[in-house]
Amino acid sequence: MNGRIDRHPILGPLPPRKQIRFQFDDRTYLGYEGETIAAALLANGVRALRRHEASGTPRGIYCNIGHCFECRVTVDGKDNIRACLTPIRDGMVVRSGRKLPAPFVVGGDSL
Amino acid sequence: MTDVLIIGAGPAGLSAAIACAENGLRVKILDEFVKPGGRLLGQLHQEPDGKWWNGIEEASALHERAMSLGVELVLGASVFAVRRKEHGWQAESTKGVHQARVLLLATGAAEWPVPIPGWTLPGVMSIGAAQVMTNVHRVRVGRRGVIIGINLLAAAIARELQLAGIELAAMVLPLRSTATGESANPMHVMKSLSHIAPLAPSAWIRTAGKLLKYPAFRQLGVRFFPRGGVRIWGIPVHLRKCAVEIYGTSQVKGVRIADVTPDGRVVPGSDKDVPADFVCIAGGLYPLAELAAVAGCPLMPVPELGGFVPVHNETMQTPLPGLYVAGNITGIENARIAMAQGTVAGLSISLDNGKGGAGMRERLEQAVDHVRRLRESAPIRFHPRVSEGRAKMAEAWRQRQADQGAST
Amino acid sequence: MRNMDSPSMIICRCEEITLQEIVETASRFRCSAREVKLRTRAGMGFCGGRTCRMLVDAIVRQTAGEPAEPLPDAFSLTYRPPVRPVSFSELGGETPDERQN
Repeated sequence: MNGRIDRHPILGPLPPRKQIRFQFDDRTYLGYEGETIAAALLANGVRALRRHEASGTPRGIYCNIGHCFECRVTVDGKDNIRACLTPIRDGMVVRSGRKLPAPFVVGGDSL
Repeated sequence: MTDVLIIGAGPAGLSAAIACAENGLRVKILDEFVKPGGRLLGQLHQEPDGKWWNGIEEASALHERAMSLGVELVLGASVFAVRRKEHGWQAESTKGVHQARVLLLATGAAEWPVPIPGWTLPGVMSIGAAQVMTNVHRVRVGRRGVIIGINLLAAAIARELQLAGIELAAMVLPLRSTATGESANPMHVMKSLSHIAPLAPSAWIRTAGKLLKYPAFRQLGVRFFPRGGVRIWGIPVHLRKCAVEIYGTSQVKGVRIADVTPDGRVVPGSDKDVPADFVCIAGGLYPLAELAAVAGCPLMPVPELGGFVPVHNETMQTPLPGLYVAGNITGIENARIAMAQGTVAGLSISLDNGKGGAGMRERLEQAVDHVRRLRESAPIRFHPRVSEGRAKMAEAWRQRQADQGAST
Repeated sequence: MRNMDSPSMIICRCEEITLQEIVETASRFRCSAREVKLRTRAGMGFCGGRTCRMLVDAIVRQTAGEPAEPLPDAFSLTYRPPVRPVSFSELGGETPDERQN
């Protein structure tokens, strides 16, 4: 199913846009110029953007406007970048946050 | 040095920038989003006269005007602190530190969360998130979704999702809990809907809406609410069902929905699984006033305005010299009012900085009057008693002035 | 907690603090929302409390038997800068400084 709303009865058709190639967790995705990382990934069917640092539960966008920080990803080596506020660029390398090791917690992961 | 620094490039911020620039002030706007227009960008609805309110077009017009007047706009700038300085104000952001004589906070609103078991799963998002994805990014939020929360915002955005061809399986109440309060109570929700019924698409709902003013009729409406829901734009709205849990492992697979009694208690054994791949949570809006608090501006709780609001007067001044506010940060109303308030703030700033010449005070008064008239003629209000809220704030300001006058 | 409350329901998404933890802390220590925040870490996660602050406030008030609506003149949770998480490089001014004289 097409992840984008190409035609809209009131807003009209999506204008032609430059295609952008970017990476998320070592896979290459196609998006369009002007799309945020979160939007481009969702259009490609990707919802999970990180794992909770302690529990490891998957997280995706919640507010989509930069308030909640659920969508934080690593972009070109820089941590805690909000995917919902960052436009994709050609060659951008995005990584999701993982569950962190918890060696001193009973039941946590060792280092 | 910049004369006026504005935080927020939404309808209020852009309108204020235009008014300031038209009066010869040098303006810079900071906004953390990727495009100018704020939450106006996602708005798309039909007004009572049938005309479409297209937020993208409205925002574009404001943006173009602002740019033509030489307003500087910095997007992708998150302001995390503001500070009073000798020359005026300083704002620290992810795109540098900015100084100006005057600071206008037009940061808008944020959404109340409504916790539901399972609400952290990927695919669960705030209703505003769905609006932005759909109308701003033109990306499908999913194939089939459920909206949790029955209120004006939910209804407006449900319609927007539907226009974009996205299926909505149901609109239901949240599970009643210590965290959800009255939004889970059918009687309370029915009462709050009675003031938006006049805008409903169907004639019988509009008629029913008139009768909903009477508590006895509301009780009947809640007690005998159709089990299949009432369809609004084809979307089943269930005042007697609630979302008990959102389920799925790596992402949303569905919502467990149960019947509720007229006062919102779950009927045991009535739950059914409704498959869905996205869920929108709609809790209402509150003013995003954190920067005002950080600036040292006093805040006042005014439920009719949506929450804690920076203390301000009709000309958008706060008790702190050189600090102004405009838009939803002052209280939740519609975008037209936000624009008009932005204009008031811009004229107010201009007057306070000796710009505009003779007749400026009168222009400012006319702009204040325009806000009042827009409020009175608004076909719908987020909060039915917003005028009372404005009056409370005006009284608090008067009291402050009186107290200060008495102490000097 | 009310009969229907789901104790393990998450209130603070950032720190994964549940309704049960907040209610138990509030009733055990008979304390303010601010103290609940300090004891449980609810509201002290990455988003700076922006998402759950109001919820924690309302839950604590209800647990204490007060109405959920904010009291006039009361302001239990304060805002301290930075109101957004910020990297040390940003604080140190590595991004272009726009100070003008």
